[in-house]
Amino acid sequence: MATYRRARSTRMLVIALVVASLMTITLDFRAGNRGPLAAVGRGALTIIAPLQEAVAGIFRPIGSFFSTLANLGNLRAENTALRARVAGAQQEQSRFADLKREFEELQRLLDLKQRFDLPTRGATVIAEGVSNFEWTVTIDRGSSDGVTLDMPVIAADGLVGRVVKVSRSDSVVMLITDPDSRVGVKLASSGERGLLLGARGEELRLDLINPDTKVLPAEPVLTSGYQGSLFPPGIPIGQVARADTADVELTRPVFVRPFVDFSRLNYVLLVLPHPDVGELGR
Amino acid sequence: MRRALAWTAVVVTALLLQSTAFAQVKLLGAKPELMYLVTVLLAMMEGPSSGAIGGFSAGMAQDFLLNQPKGITALTLTLVGYVVGMARQYIVTPSPLLPVLLVAGATFGGVLFYGFVAFLLGQLSGVGFLLRTALLASVYNAALTPILYPALRRVTEASRARKVFRW
Repeated sequence: MATYRRARSTRMLVIALVVASLMTITLDFRAGNRGPLAAVGRGALTIIAPLQEAVAGIFRPIGSFFSTLANLGNLRAENTALRARVAGAQQEQSRFADLKREFEELQRLLDLKQRFDLPTRGATVIAEGVSNFEWTVTIDRGSSDGVTLDMPVIAADGLVGRVVKVSRSDSVVMLITDPDSRVGVKLASSGERGLLLGARGEELRLDLINPDTKVLPAEPVLTSGYQGSLFPPGIPIGQVARADTADVELTRPVFVRPFVDFSRLNYVLLVLPHPDVGELGR
Repeated sequence: MRRALAWTAVVVTALLLQSTAFAQVKLLGAKPELMYLVTVLLAMMEGPSSGAIGGFSAGMAQDFLLNQPKGITALTLTLVGYVVGMARQYIVTPSPLLPVLLVAGATFGGVLFYGFVAFLLGQLSGVGFLLRTALLASVYNAALTPILYPALRRVTEASRARKVFRW
């Protein structure tokens, strides 16, 4: 009898939790990015982001210290010391390579910034999205740094994505590879416009407005940045990887390989609203 | 109470590792689904009602870090926790492979269920990608089980109340 009652109460509990989940899904689905549950999401980001930053710091390769050896009296000690110094030098060298790579990345970011003359703010990527079904990164800038929803994010190689969640000191960027990402783009040579869709972290899919457009192999794709667009014009995104022949669909899918290597994203730039043009956002 | 705190710490740690360390160590592009792994192990050790509550909480914690409609992971993991907790009561094998197989099966089924619900909400497309991710995540989770299972069993045993209550 007792086991029966327990099984029944467990069933009731599961039903209650399932109903609670379904209600959460419904509420959040209807309210979207600006509902009360989104505020809880921002709160969760405020709590978890500093922890992510700390954990990411631990897993980043750090040079270990080799304390100088006090006793150099005999040959054996000297041998050990020399070995330590070689190891230290190797550590130093790998750290130097790492720093050099960082420097180059920042240098290229600076070049991009100067080329486009956009007001920007630098940010560091601190973590990736939790899920296998979402392509996002967390960066260490938030509303206190002037970050707002839908703000464009670029890296040295090109467009990264846009801000979809902002807390006080951190924010989440949806990458252009996310299936929910939509970017208005144009082909570099013909200037033909289209819509670039994220495709689950693989190559991006470009739907051209005019399906008869001649697409050149490896042709660069840029943001089109027409009136009301989130992204400023002319930011490089990627190059055409392949184009399928037109089928029964009205549009002909063209596949684009992004310039940015999203698996190795360290530094990004947030594009601030242009003082002359005013709000870039919707 | 102590157990709840211990499991909360486990969930938060798993979320942190999932987005930092495991974001860099992927299996053919897929991360493990640590929330699924934690839920399955909890349900195995604590039974269906704890499994359902744990799954719901872990799922909600993950959902609020995502951009998709919140609650899908909570729904999935509530059911995963309940089903695994129930199934465990009927399995009497002493095989050490049992946790690995349960984790693999439950992760695969759970990720597919998640994908199905997300698809109903218009959030996900591509059956091939879903199957691939479910398979890779379940293999990754199964591979992590021999490391995590003993560790989590120690957590439950250390945090178990001195007196044994029945409810």
